[in-house]
Formats: sequence, C-alpha cells, structure tokens
Amino acid sequence: MLSFLLTAASLFTGVSDVSPLALWNGADEGRAVFLLAVSRVPRTLALVLAGASLSIAGLIMQMLVRNKFVEPSTTGVTEFATLGMLTTMFLWPGAPVPARAAVAAGCGVFGTWVFLRVVRVVPVRQLVLVPLVGLVLGGVVGAVTTFFAYRADLVQSLGQWSQGSFAGIVPGRYEFLWIAAAMVVIAWIAADRFSVAGMGEAFSTNLGLNHRRVVAVGMVVVAVITATVLVTAGTVPFLGLVVPNVVSLLVGDNVRRSLPWVAALGAAFVLGCDVVARLVRFPYEIPLSVVVGVVGAGVFLWLLLRRGTRAH
Amino acid sequence: MPSLRPTPVLALIAAATLLASGCSGGSSEAASSDGDAAQTATASFTWQRNTAGEDEDPVYEETTVEVPVDPEKIVVFDLASLDTIGALGGEVAGAPLDSVPDYLRDHLADDAFNAGTLFEADLVGIEAQQPDLIVIGGRSAGLYDDLSRIAPTVDLSTRGSYTENLERNVTFLGEVLNAPDAAAAAITELEDGVAQARAATAKLGTGLGLMVSGGRLSAQAPAGEDASGRNARGGLIYDAFGVRPAVADVEAATHGEPVSFEFLLEHDPDYLWVVDRDAATGQDQGAQPAAAVLDNDIVKQTKAARNGHVVYLDPVAWYIVFGGVDTTKIMIDDVLQAAA
Repeated sequence: MLSFLLTAASLFTGVSDVSPLALWNGADEGRAVFLLAVSRVPRTLALVLAGASLSIAGLIMQMLVRNKFVEPSTTGVTEFATLGMLTTMFLWPGAPVPARAAVAAGCGVFGTWVFLRVVRVVPVRQLVLVPLVGLVLGGVVGAVTTFFAYRADLVQSLGQWSQGSFAGIVPGRYEFLWIAAAMVVIAWIAADRFSVAGMGEAFSTNLGLNHRRVVAVGMVVVAVITATVLVTAGTVPFLGLVVPNVVSLLVGDNVRRSLPWVAALGAAFVLGCDVVARLVRFPYEIPLSVVVGVVGAGVFLWLLLRRGTRAH
Repeated sequence: MPSLRPTPVLALIAAATLLASGCSGGSSEAASSDGDAAQTATASFTWQRNTAGEDEDPVYEETTVEVPVDPEKIVVFDLASLDTIGALGGEVAGAPLDSVPDYLRDHLADDAFNAGTLFEADLVGIEAQQPDLIVIGGRSAGLYDDLSRIAPTVDLSTRGSYTENLERNVTFLGEVLNAPDAAAAAITELEDGVAQARAATAKLGTGLGLMVSGGRLSAQAPAGEDASGRNARGGLIYDAFGVRPAVADVEAATHGEPVSFEFLLEHDPDYLWVVDRDAATGQDQGAQPAAAVLDNDIVKQTKAARNGHVVYLDPVAWYIVFGGVDTTKIMIDDVLQAAA
C-alpha cells in the first residue's frame, strides 16, 4: 500500500505540471502523457528496481556473513566496484556501458571475496566490529581509487558520477537495471540455501549443500546488483543495511517470508527519498544519495544503539 | 596551518634579486648580467586577498605587491594569465604543464618546467627554479602563502565584473611585460568584441547556461557583481555576454544546480548554452559527451532543440581558462557564431 502511494507520488512529482487531473483532461496536447511516458515512468521504474535489488543485495550479504550490519557499502564491495569502473574509464575510454558494468561487477565479486576472507581470518568477536572491518577495507580501497583519480585528474568526475542520482533517467538509460531485477529472482530461488550457507561450511556440508558454490552465487548476485546500479545511477549508501533490518523487526527472520517485504520496502524507501530529493530545493534537485545517506545513517545508528537492549 | 604575515615587500624584492642572481651564498650585489636595469623597475599590484580558509566565509585583506618589470622567469598557475602573458609577447618558464590547453602551449618557454597542478604547487621544484614572478588565480588562489615566500606572487582571480577584471589584469600584465601599447590594443579589441556579442545576444530571447558532466545536468546562474573566483564561471554567459536568464534565481554554486530534463522543458529557454565539462577536463572517460546526454525525447521537445539553438561552447575556454586575451576571443566567437 505504502509502495503504491509512493509510486503515485513519484509519478506526479516533478518540475512540470503532470497531475492526474491534467491527464484526465488531456490538457496541453498530451504533454502530460508524454512526460509521464518519457520521464516519470522510467524514473519511477528505475527507482523501484534499484531500491528493491540493492536491499536484496544487502539481505544476501547479511545471510552469508551472518551479521546484520553488512551490505555492499559497508564491506568494501561498492568501493571495489567503483575502482573497477574507474580502471575501465582509464584503460578503456569509451567502453560501452555493459563492459563497464561487467568490469565493475568483476571487481565487486573480488571485493566480496576479500571481505569474506578477512572476516574468516580475523576473529571478530563482536557483531558490530564486522562492518567496521568492512568500512576500513572500503576506506583502503576508496583511498586507492582516489589516488588514481587524482593522478588521472578524474577526482571531480568521480564525485559526479558516484553520487547517486536518478535525475538523468530517460528511456534507454536504465534498462540495465533489469539485470539487477533478474538477480533478485535468483536470490529468491536460492534464499534458503543462502541462510544455510551462513551457518558455516561444516553445517551446510552436513545438510548436503555445496557450500562454496552457494557462497560464490551469492557473491556474484551481490556484486552484479551493486555494479548495475552503480553504472546506472551512482552509489546509494546504507540501503541494503537499513531495509532488511527494519523488515526483520517487522516480520521476523524467515527469509522466505521477508524477501518480498525487503524488496517492497527497499523500493518504497528509495522512491520516498527520491521524491524528497526532487522537492527540497524545487525546481532544482539534490542528489538522491544525500537524502538516503542522511535517513539511512540515522536508522543505522538507531539500530546499532538498540542492539544493546536485545538478545540476539 | 599557521598563516605567517607576508614578509615585508622590500625583503621579498631583495630575496628575489638574490635568487635571480643565481648564486648560492654569493654577495647580494651580484645582479644578473642582462636586465640589470630592468630589475630595478617595479610594477605594483593591489587586490583584495581572501585570507580565510577554503570552507569559511571570505575575509578580505588589501594586499599590495611590488613585482619586477620584465621578469626573466615567470611561473603561472592561472591559465587566464598564461594566455594574456603570451598574447602580450611574454613567455612563461613554469606552469601546471598537464593542464595547459593546446592553444596556449606556444606561450610556454621551450624548457618550461612543470610547476604542479591547477590546485597545487610543487614548491620544491619552483624554489629550485628561482622565479622572479609567480601568478596565481582562481583554483590556485589558496597557494598565496606558500608561494609568496619564494617570489613576488600576485593573485589575478576574477571578482565582480568579468570585463573589468580582464582590463585590470591585461593592463597590469602589460605593465609587467613592458608592453603597455599591446595591452591597450588588446583591451580595445576585446571591449569591441564583447560589445558586439552583447548586441547579438540581446536579440536571442532567454537562455540557460547548462553544464553537462557524467550524464548529469547543472543549471548555471548569473553570478552578479559579487561573484568571485570560479563561482563567476557559470554566470559568464549572462554576466559578461548579456544573455537573458530563463531562470532568474538559480544560486551560483561553483558547478551550478542539479536539474532534470523536465526542468529544461518546463522553463523552455530560447537558447541552451552548453558546456561539456568532461570534454573540458580532457577525459574521454566513457562518460557520454554532452550531445549524447541531451539527445533524448524530452530535450527534443524544447524550443531550443526544435529551433537548433542548442549551442555547444568551447569547454576549455569557458570552463577551464575563462579569462585572458585569446580565450575571451574564443568566447566572443562562440557567442557570435551562435547568434549568426
């Protein structure tokens, strides 16, 4: 219901006057219809796809690491994918978007693997420390990226396109996100296996599960989602972290049951933030990542602080 | 960072002369064999120097610096000044070589050294070269404290009116290079050109300056008289060339305000003046060129696109250099061609 309302809000929020009334009257020689088709609908669709898939990516990571505080942007995956994208820009200028996304996804997979290795090797006693390790890892990779960007005079460009924004979405510039949507379907099919894999290698092998393969699939799904959203709209922080946690508070931890909720809430959250981003400085926009970052960081802190009061 | 009071001017000149003599620990009497007389003549330059940090409100302090006339070695960080120095027949010994655009390359000495980037200075390298004059401005204005310890340093940043600044800087550099006539001629020519361009834009209806970077759009704003440094950049098309803004109240951020394609259709300016930022910074980085970004159904509906009035300005001139004699000529030509 909430998602539906926000979708409507997203469709009817923008610089131009597109209201249900205008649609009904067919005012302005169908201009409202035109704008709806080439501007509002693609943008809304892109937001729904990105929001849902990023939240699912966060959920998968949380299952694999068995930690509620991880998601692509707190584990270095996003930074690795960004580094991959920068490298492509640098070594292969003018590469087609699919190629850039592929390299970014490849680096993202590597980043996930590195993070999982680090978490396995370094005995981390407290749950909260795991994302800290991830943030440190991300910081290191981010520093490498910044260094290269600085040497190549790409710092400002890096800032430009890594800032999440859906302002430039028109037909033909977001279809890539359907790949992320396909990943969500895969995640849905493999959800139980991810939960089991999170229990550890011995446990899953006892249940007759190929642990390595499941983890590999999970890593690829997370990285591909991260990379497709990155090349389409930039980085959207905290989403995969906040949404699954809120859902787990609302409907519990059964992944089968919570998965659709995570997707729906993720979509709603991003839609809501984007509508805010369009309205704060109307008729100008502020980057979506700013809104998501502020709200997401607040919720993240709240989740961290209330952990103390709850046995897990 | 502790900001030391700039050493008294006299000491600076003494130091510069000592440096120019190129002797290590020799007597300060030893002046360079040529230009002995020239070393004694100085030109003075006064400007309001911003002493506040990067993210603070500006605090201006009137600063006057005496610089030698006919300096042998000039180091320039401000590309607009590099342009003007070359146009007036001078030569530059050091500059951020990686950032010097092709059309200004011949203003560099054959053995020009790399002084750093547009934002940062290679202080050790510059010190070793012992320049007689250092020119900063805009992106490099913050280097004043460090560089003024090496040689007399002037900041030719843009503040307020573009044309007034241009005249001031060309006049001053003409004085420094001992080429007052060339400077006066250049100023007259540029004034005429800008006047022509303004006459042309007066007939073009409304316009919107638009920066395109990484597939994102930013609307540019008139900066007005209080613009300084790079904030003035986006407003040049309105402030200096008289384009009537389609949207009056965009705030002058350094890179404009993010907008959507719908914004273009809604405000529907008669002309779109586009700066392709990624092309300006010389990155064929896979980010689509501005023309590709603007090639979509929404933009095609705008008046500007329907009438073929989407103008692509020379990105290096308008975004990187935005000042100086030859660059201003390029800008004037851009506007006149669009209006033709």
